[in-house]
Amino acid sequence: MIIAIAANKNNLKALVDAHFGKCNWFCLHDTETHQSSFIENPASQNQENAGCDAAGIMLDKNICMAIAGRFGSKVVDVFRKNNIQMVIPETLQTISEIINQIK
Amino acid sequence: MGRIKKDRLIQMAPHFCGFKPQGLQCKTGEDVCINFEEYEAINLCDYELLTQAEAAKLMKVSRPTFTRIYESVRRKIAKAFVEGSCIQFEGGNVAIAEWFKCNECKITFTLPENANKHCPFCKTQVIIENN
Repeated sequence: MIIAIAANKNNLKALVDAHFGKCNWFCLHDTETHQSSFIENPASQNQENAGCDAAGIMLDKNICMAIAGRFGSKVVDVFRKNNIQMVIPETLQTISEIINQIK
Repeated sequence: MGRIKKDRLIQMAPHFCGFKPQGLQCKTGEDVCINFEEYEAINLCDYELLTQAEAAKLMKVSRPTFTRIYESVRRKIAKAFVEGSCIQFEGGNVAIAEWFKCNECKITFTLPENANKHCPFCKTQVIIENN
């Protein structure tokens, strides 16, 4: 299962970004191989539709779960349609803390 | 100190932040803050044309409470219209429908269709459903 985490920097000590569409990086974590990779979010500077574009890219990566501080209403629609779980941490956490919580 | 307000259930938060009056040279009056439960009240009652009793049921509050929320938003909108103030959407005691909470992991999450009802992190089945 591949999990996408919105990150503000491209390392495991970075914090989970507050907004799904506008984050600078995505951390893709594979729960079977325990590998994490980072990809840059090309939609981060978009004025409009950043969320939908980012969601489209994430769907191409076959993710099953997305983690971010906030999801826009259009992103929620897209993810609900594609049956992807969304998770919002209520406290500020780093990427590695999140990954450790997923068993 | 007053009693803590129960969370009002809303279907979806507005996707924009508020309104600005047109053609004013300088700002008049204070901004009017409409919170999310008030936005939902006007949405259900006057946009989706539900009765107050139906709308109250959807928001998980009593009918009199709903009427109070609705009255309050009508007054705020009238105030903003007459005084030419900006309207901002913010705050409120709300929970959004079809999202779940795990108090152990301190997360809010959605469930995919046909999935077991458990927390994606700690797998506990003790989760709180917002609706």
